[in-house]
Amino acid sequence: MSDLAVAAVLAGAILLASTVSVELGISVALIELFAGVVVANALNIDVPSWLAFIGSFAGVLLTFLAGAEVDVPQLRREWKASLSIGSVSFGAPFVVVGLLAYYGLGWNHRQAEIAGIALSTTSLAVVYAVLVESGLNQALVGKRLMSATFITDLCTVIALSVLFITPTIWIVPFVLVSIALIVVLPKVAPWFFGRYGNRVIEPEIKLVFAALFLLMWLGGRANSQAVLPAFVLGLTMSGHYAQHRLEQQRMRVVAFAFLTPFFFLKGGMSVSAGALWANLGILALLFVGKMVPKLGGVYPLARRFTAPHAAFTTLLMSTGLTFGTISALYGLNAGIIDRTQFSLLIAVVVLSAIVPTAIAQRFFQPHADHELRRDRGPAPEPALEGEVA
Amino acid sequence: MPFDRIVVAVDGSEAGYNAFAKALELAQVTDATLLALAVEGPLPAYAATIGEIEEVKREKDEFFGVLADRVRTEAKAAGIGIEVEVRAGHAADVITRYATEVGADLIVLGHKGHFLRDHLLGSTADRVSESAGCPVMIVR
Repeated sequence: MSDLAVAAVLAGAILLASTVSVELGISVALIELFAGVVVANALNIDVPSWLAFIGSFAGVLLTFLAGAEVDVPQLRREWKASLSIGSVSFGAPFVVVGLLAYYGLGWNHRQAEIAGIALSTTSLAVVYAVLVESGLNQALVGKRLMSATFITDLCTVIALSVLFITPTIWIVPFVLVSIALIVVLPKVAPWFFGRYGNRVIEPEIKLVFAALFLLMWLGGRANSQAVLPAFVLGLTMSGHYAQHRLEQQRMRVVAFAFLTPFFFLKGGMSVSAGALWANLGILALLFVGKMVPKLGGVYPLARRFTAPHAAFTTLLMSTGLTFGTISALYGLNAGIIDRTQFSLLIAVVVLSAIVPTAIAQRFFQPHADHELRRDRGPAPEPALEGEVA
Repeated sequence: MPFDRIVVAVDGSEAGYNAFAKALELAQVTDATLLALAVEGPLPAYAATIGEIEEVKREKDEFFGVLADRVRTEAKAAGIGIEVEVRAGHAADVITRYATEVGADLIVLGHKGHFLRDHLLGSTADRVSESAGCPVMIVR
């Protein structure tokens, strides 16, 4: 099939995924992932090089956007709970899944590390959707959950960047340019966006894209990758975007309309349905390998920091989607894991987006009004008659 | 049958407006208190980015803000006092819960006939009529 024919098929799949997403009320990313599985396995289409390229950039852009969505002041306020829950939420499944993959499944240590990273993530967006829909994003339990999820995400990008680095001399310019962009871009952005922004040609989006492509290129030359500086760059830009919602909205339009569909389609197309079917036992084992340490590690901390909603917190911290997909795709693109291992990891990631969320919402979701009242504390005693209030 | 408190569900659809018009008539005839409930449907489940959630939420807030204003204006023009509430969540659950909270003795809502979703999950009107603790009027 020619490149244009594949592009036409994929464009149709993306369009269909959007409409199905609206009709069913399910995230378009999940439908695109599923559409990728169907298209690749039914039509026997391999991932073309242009799709791999766009998908790789979209993955870095998603990482940048995740950083840009961090509520930094909130993170500072809740640093103790966030750090405790977030780091254990990453560390416990990382160790358990890594050991399970290495000793139990016979994967090599790099493959086991990819499995550990991909299955230790927590989905910021899945958690956020549950909190916003229930109104709990305004309550302390919701704020602590979000902050803890940011920490887990940060651990993920640090692990991806540090564990697989085999540095060349290019690591020096990569680190220097990363630091320069992280320091300079937030300072330059207000002037640049003020002078050149708010136009249909979107220079402000091009500035961010140029920075991300530069990081990807230097990261590639350094045998590293751009996820960590992209995430931190997003983090440092989060304050700017919080004050300029229109700019953030335009960036999202470009990302969601053209780039991220290809990322998730690429992820889905790299899944082998046959390999999944042949390895259902391993799939179940990996799912348990993710859930048990998440539940066992986070629950005691959740009892301390988000009581009485420890079960709700723990289940939501067990969700995963975007960063799990990014991590598994990194392993596949770098030749660390094979297609069967990738398929298993993606399937567990998707299952972990759905199963704990459904259980948390159905059985453990707190009532937002009660939580907000609890956060405000007990109402003051009414003043006695004649008493000066 | 006289009614004291009528809850009407509005969602911006033609069926929703038909239901609202019928509820206005009933409120005029029975001198009942009219409470309009606009339910922002659920946000996309299992989203991959916060952006997707925030943008959908923003669009819903804008849409339902305009809808609430329109409902207030039309009720005022008809000489009916009205309370308008906008809530998020799954429509059937929110409608029945709200009706219980406010002590409604009638729920009025439209039937859109959404082919795909109705076949998969059943319509909102079906689910409200099954779970509500008061009479339900479904307007087509």
